[in-house]
Amino acid sequence: MLREFLRLAAQNVLHRKLRSFLAVLGVCIGIAAVVGLISIGLSLQAMMKGEVSKVFGVDTFVVMDQDMMNQQRHGAMKEFALNMDTLQGVEGVKIVAAVRQRTAFVQGGVNAEGKAQQGFMPVMGLSPELLTEFSAFTGDLALEPGGRNIQVGDTEVAVLGANVAERLVVGLGDSFLVAGEGKNEIRATVIGILAASEESDADQGFASGMSSSSGDTVYIPYATMGRLWPEGNDFLVTAVKILPGYEVDDVADRAEEALKAEGSRVTAITSGDITDVIDEMLAYINIFLGGLAAISLIVGGVGVMNTMFTSVLERTKDIGVMKAVGAKNRHILAVFLIESGLIGLFGGLIGTVFGLGLSAVVCWALNTFANMPGGVSFPFVASPGLIVVTLLGAFAIGAMSGLWPARRGSRMPVVDALRYE
Amino acid sequence: MALLDLRGVTKDYPLGSTIVNALRGLDLSIERGEIVAIMGPSGSGKSTLMHILGALDAPTDGEARLEGHDLRELSENELVTLRGRKVGFVFQTFNLIQSLTAQQNVELPMIFLGVKRRDRLERARYLLEKVGLEDRVAHRPNELSGGERQRVAIARALANDPEIILADEPTGNLDSETGATILDLLKRLSVDQGKTMILITHDPDAAAIAHRVVRLRDGRVVQEVRNA
Repeated sequence: MLREFLRLAAQNVLHRKLRSFLAVLGVCIGIAAVVGLISIGLSLQAMMKGEVSKVFGVDTFVVMDQDMMNQQRHGAMKEFALNMDTLQGVEGVKIVAAVRQRTAFVQGGVNAEGKAQQGFMPVMGLSPELLTEFSAFTGDLALEPGGRNIQVGDTEVAVLGANVAERLVVGLGDSFLVAGEGKNEIRATVIGILAASEESDADQGFASGMSSSSGDTVYIPYATMGRLWPEGNDFLVTAVKILPGYEVDDVADRAEEALKAEGSRVTAITSGDITDVIDEMLAYINIFLGGLAAISLIVGGVGVMNTMFTSVLERTKDIGVMKAVGAKNRHILAVFLIESGLIGLFGGLIGTVFGLGLSAVVCWALNTFANMPGGVSFPFVASPGLIVVTLLGAFAIGAMSGLWPARRGSRMPVVDALRYE
Repeated sequence: MALLDLRGVTKDYPLGSTIVNALRGLDLSIERGEIVAIMGPSGSGKSTLMHILGALDAPTDGEARLEGHDLRELSENELVTLRGRKVGFVFQTFNLIQSLTAQQNVELPMIFLGVKRRDRLERARYLLEKVGLEDRVAHRPNELSGGERQRVAIARALANDPEIILADEPTGNLDSETGATILDLLKRLSVDQGKTMILITHDPDAAAIAHRVVRLRDGRVVQEVRNA
């Protein structure tokens, strides 16, 4: 009998083409908004996850200040204390690379007036492995011609930010003084100068924006840093690569435990932790976008309801006739519910196509016209789950909007319905 | 046992703030195979009587039995099933569903009784042929003349092979010539197929085909005449 009712309902929809079209259009706009906005949200999520997986392999995690992943953090990185030997000793750890930061007194060459150039400047101790094993973190540190980066085995050398080189009046091969704690001091030879970048600091990868812009920082080898200051509350980040055959989350948990046992206020962050945070954040965004879109869907539903009320009223006599020839209340209810459900479903089908189209156009436009840094691209995401749920939901919204009018129609006494003119 | 048996039937219904006493103690008995014309001026209770004879409504008081079933004791769904099987309606304004073809309109009563598709199609074709519309099966009501529409309605009334054909002013919206052919068809079908037919009418020509003419006034039977 369902097939017959479906046919009856479909014929009623098609019989009133213009009115059905308008009701379908209302649902269609709502569904297009929902599908479009959520798909754009999914694209954003895919883009962010893609970026995270570019930096973090499956074999890498970082150790940072423990407030880093909390809601209370305020963006800037905080220094923390850490024992590198403990970290290196955790089972499954292959390589550890760290970044420490201090402010040091530095003294360079003399200026045109013969005055020695000196001042306090941020000094970062970088593990050379950071540049070789964890290049995704540091980004591409472009040097001026003739220079080189810090390598394993380097001691009293430095790479300078472009501004620093200028201010200290030193060039490649020159040496300058860096003073550490107490009487600790070295004369470091300049082996490289960072090319003045045209990009903003935020685009220069992980190491650049740590606490000051790269142009103002003196970079020295990690080991040399240890000669100037003992390890203390000055770690910015520690990157860890694990041995093959270990699970990154297990090793990260062990590392965090071992470090915390020594009193370090740290947290170990894997790509999974970051994608969790992204998922959580984007879930809120999607709920917000979906909520906005749902408003237009409700409007569409009210449109269907209005159409169905008119339809029921207009077909009062038909209801009477159907009841006279043997239709029960539930038959009438079913016919009208299927009818309004079909309006919803048609609207859902067309709306889904439009919504996905909208999302595709937005992704294309972002990829084509927005000047996005570092090969970031918005992938177009057509989620099968979203499509199925949307279509079912569209049918349900249609049917629900039709429920009230259909009930009224089905309960009309046959004698009154037959008399209706 | 009479097919339809009404004893002391009253029917009241509210109209605005007043109560209309449409039927006031009506007695009527109709036998199987009879053709009965029910006549009377407007307001005499013809339509209300038709509703009760067709199991569309139950009386307020008194006893109304269709094949022995007391209408007042049946639930709404039981009433629907009873009339779906036992009564076929023909209305003055044809009352076809505009979005359905002639054939689909004839199929409709069978759909609600759960008749299989193949049987339904076969019977609808057969009935449309009987009423002379074999070449109009795929037409919608608005593509048919008044006479053709009433033929479709007659075919629909016969769909579930009911005992009773209840025709409410079947010629009221037709010119006299078409009306005559429709009356002829109704009479032929009811005699051929052994149906009981009740005609609610103003039309003396319609009354002329009946075995018996019942006149109503003020909700009561005031005259019964047997035609020769």
